[in-house]
Amino acid sequence: MDEVATKVIEILKKHMKEPRDDISLDTQLTDLKIESLDLAMIVFDIEDGFGIEIPYNANEEVEAFKTVGSVVDRVKSLIAAKQASAAKA
Amino acid sequence: MSNGKPGRRVVVTGLGVVTPIGSTVPEFWASLKAGKSGVTPLAGFPLDDLKILIAAQIKDFDPKQRLKHFKRDRIITLADRYSWFAAAAADEAIKMAGLEMPLADPYRSACIIGSGAGGLTTFETAYRDLFIHNKRATHPLTLLRIIGSSAAAHVGIEFGVKGPTFATCSACSTATHAIGIARDYIRDGMADVAIAGASESVINYGTMKAWQALHVLSPEGCFPFAKKRNGTVLADGAGILVLESLEHAQARGATILAELRGFGMASDSQDMVKPTIEGPSVAMQTAIEEAGITPDQVDYLNAHGTATADNDINETKAIKNVFKDHAYKLAISSTKSMHGHPLGAGGGIEAVATIMAMRESWAPPTIGLDEPGEGCDLDYIPNVGREMKLRYAMSNSLAFGGLNTSLVFGPAP
Repeated sequence: MDEVATKVIEILKKHMKEPRDDISLDTQLTDLKIESLDLAMIVFDIEDGFGIEIPYNANEEVEAFKTVGSVVDRVKSLIAAKQASAAKA
Repeated sequence: MSNGKPGRRVVVTGLGVVTPIGSTVPEFWASLKAGKSGVTPLAGFPLDDLKILIAAQIKDFDPKQRLKHFKRDRIITLADRYSWFAAAAADEAIKMAGLEMPLADPYRSACIIGSGAGGLTTFETAYRDLFIHNKRATHPLTLLRIIGSSAAAHVGIEFGVKGPTFATCSACSTATHAIGIARDYIRDGMADVAIAGASESVINYGTMKAWQALHVLSPEGCFPFAKKRNGTVLADGAGILVLESLEHAQARGATILAELRGFGMASDSQDMVKPTIEGPSVAMQTAIEEAGITPDQVDYLNAHGTATADNDINETKAIKNVFKDHAYKLAISSTKSMHGHPLGAGGGIEAVATIMAMRESWAPPTIGLDEPGEGCDLDYIPNVGREMKLRYAMSNSLAFGGLNTSLVFGPAP
C-alpha cells in the first residue's frame, strides 16, 4: 500500500470505535461502522492532512465513499488536481 | 406555576453538581462546610489585555475519566465543556436516585437542561481558527458543540430519555426555570421522572471582555451583601436534580431527599439590568403560596446574592416585602460567595446546596461578609455556617432582563 493509502487508513482507524488491522482497499466503509458524523470528522482530517478540499455532502450517496480504495483514489485525484493547478500558476 | 390547580406531588430523589469547589455533591458540600472560596486567578487562555483577572473556574475536570463509562452517547467527550459538566452532574444525580438506565418508561421521562449561553467557548475557538489563524474550516463538531440544547440532548441520549427533552434559556434563572417546568410536567401528569437543571462554561477571553464592558465584575472577589462588594465573579458549573412524582418514587422504594413544594416565576418587564422589587416579590410569594405555607414557615433562603450593587440591595428589599417581620428572623445566605456566579447553572447548584442544608440541618454561610453593605440589614449568616433545623427552604434566581424565579422545598413526605 502506498503512502496516501496508509495515511487514509490511519485517519479511518483514528475515528473507529474499535479500530481493526485488516483494512484493505476493498473494505467497504459501512463494514467499518463509520457513520455520518464520523465521516464528517474523517473528511476534515483528510483535508487537513493532504491540504485538499473534498466536495462532500452528507445528504448524498457518494460513490467516492463506498470503499477504502475509492476514498484513496479520490484523495489522489484531488492531490493531482491541486498540483496541476499549482504548476499552472 | 399552579394556576390554582392541584396536581401530583413532586419530590427530589437525586442531586448532582460540578462546581469550582467540588465536582461531586460530597466534595461540594465539604467545601461549603469549610467556607471555601473557588475564586482563583484566571487561567487556561491568553489573558492579553484583560483587566478582570479572577474567576471561579473548574480546573481539574477530566471528561475522559469522569465520563468514560458513558455507553449510549459515544461522543460526549468530544462535546463542549458545558455538556461535560451537565453530563457529569446528571450522572451523579441519576446514580443517587438509584434509577435503572436506560429508563424503564422513556416516553414518561423528561430531560430539561438549560444553559444561559451554550457552547460559547467552542464559538470562540472556532472564530479564532477562522478569523485569526485563517484556517480553512471549523472543526466538524463545532455546530453540535455550540447549540444550547446539546447538553440536554447528550444527557437524554445517554440515559434513554424519550419524553420532553430541551433546554431553557433565561440567563441566571435558566436552571430554576428548567426545574420549575420539569416540576409542572410531573405534577400535571405529563411525565413521571425528570432530569432538570442547567450547565454553564463561558469563561474565555471574549466572554471576559463582554462582561468587563458591562462593568459588573469584581476585580477582587465575590462578597454578597458586604459593604466592600464591587461586582460578581463568573464561574463554571452545573447543577442537576432528579425529580419524580411521589407515587413513582415510593413505588420503586427510592430515598426521597425533599419535596419540591412551590415554584414561582414573574418577569419585571421593565429593564434589562435594573431590577424591580415587585418581580422577585411576586416570584417568591407565588412559590410560598404554592407550597401551601406562610412566609414565616420558611427557615432558610438561598439568595440570588450576586454581589452586584443593585442585586443585593434590591433582593433584600424584595425579601422584606414578602416576609415582612419574619425577614429579620429568616436565615439567608448567598453560596455564590463560595462557588462564584455560574450564571444559568446557579439555580441548579443552589437548589442542591439548599436541599443538602435541609438534610444536614446546617445552613451554609455567606463568606467574606465582614461588614454589611448599606441597606443590607438582614441575617445573611456571615462567614460561619449555622446548625439549625430547616423544614422549608427557598432558593431564588433573579436574572438579567428581570426574569425572576423562586423554588420552595419541604421535607420528604
